[in-house]
Amino acid sequence: MTEPIRIEGLTVRYGRSTACRDVSLRVALGSVYALLGRNGAGKSSLVRCLLGEQMPSAGRTLLFGDNAWTSRRAAMARIGVVPEEPDAPVGMTARELSDFCRRIYPRWDGAAVMARFQRFGVPPNSPFGRLSKGQKGEVMLALALGHAPEVLILDDPTLGLDVVARSALYDEIVGELADRGTTVFVTTHDLAGFEGIVTRVGILKEGKMILDEDMEALKARFRRIRYANHLTETRTAFGTELDAFHAVRVRVRGWGIEAIVANFDDATFESFRAIDGVDDASAEAMPLEEIFLALAGQEKGNGQ
Amino acid sequence: MAGLRIDPSDATPIWSQIEEGLRRLVASGALSPGAVVPSVRDLAKELRVNPATVVKAYQRLTDAGVLTVRRGDGTYVAEVPPAMSRTERARILREAASRYANLASTLGVAPEDAQEALRAAWRKGDKS
Repeated sequence: MTEPIRIEGLTVRYGRSTACRDVSLRVALGSVYALLGRNGAGKSSLVRCLLGEQMPSAGRTLLFGDNAWTSRRAAMARIGVVPEEPDAPVGMTARELSDFCRRIYPRWDGAAVMARFQRFGVPPNSPFGRLSKGQKGEVMLALALGHAPEVLILDDPTLGLDVVARSALYDEIVGELADRGTTVFVTTHDLAGFEGIVTRVGILKEGKMILDEDMEALKARFRRIRYANHLTETRTAFGTELDAFHAVRVRVRGWGIEAIVANFDDATFESFRAIDGVDDASAEAMPLEEIFLALAGQEKGNGQ
Repeated sequence: MAGLRIDPSDATPIWSQIEEGLRRLVASGALSPGAVVPSVRDLAKELRVNPATVVKAYQRLTDAGVLTVRRGDGTYVAEVPPAMSRTERARILREAASRYANLASTLGVAPEDAQEALRAAWRKGDKS
């Protein structure tokens, strides 16, 4: 079956600067893909190309197998989009926006949209321009789901939302997944909120994909290891104890050493603990946010 | 659902945490035979996890005979939960013991002290 989203060798240049370099990824049917990256990493350019709003400098983005740039209209009937900046005519109410969309989408479910407005606490009869930032985002989400899209694309959907609004957003997404198996592609800064929902993670750094992996595999291989290093005094042996690991980041702390490793497994850790001079070693699973920071944060180094 | 806690950041896959958590609730009697368990949708919302992971946990528990599905009705704890096989029980005990031993050694606790702490916890568990 054709993947809902497929990006092949996407490159986006603006004059001399390059926003995306040879980016490829696939979003499988029914999966929840989170694309992470710091500001300026290239997420927005990628999303614009994905929605057929911008022509790539090289490569292509496919929606249901069709080029997003050349066959945008056909794909949009099957896709719901929540843009980074909520955008609608300021004088129209939420109810009017829903009625307007009904004319565009044959499958429009106005009752479901009104029910969502109610769940979110969005006043359906206030002009869009008078709504709060969070409410505008909620209107966008309610509308994006109005034609029961097969794919939901969310561009930093929690930006500017308070805790309650964020909670309503997760509820709505989980409900969509449960009821209709919707495929979701989300760019986000809110890693903790999406951690349990996401099935695959991509990380963009300076325009390049530095990671593209299933969530379970990612969590299984990353650990924060802490130990007292009594090898430091003998200088010659310093640093070699971690050789069996791929250490993404190593920091010297007052109490010892903290290393973030990307290839953890129990057997390697057992041999590590047995090294003479490595004491009190512990290994801790890491939240997605910390894995992201370790990979996309500052350059890797010894942190001194 | 009361008593079911999961940690999305933990290295153990979420479906496995849900599976183990429900097994524990059934074993402890907190979920009695024939009791209804939440729908996939409700549990996914409550735990804020992907419904597919709840489906996977329920599927495995159904296959193991811990849960039963009544078509068009819902999912229930089996009337007669299966006795755990000897090898399965040994495996779970071994894994938990290994976790505990690792923790104790991380804390620099001597084996005898760790064993004493385990005995104390056991006595406390008997009383409650």
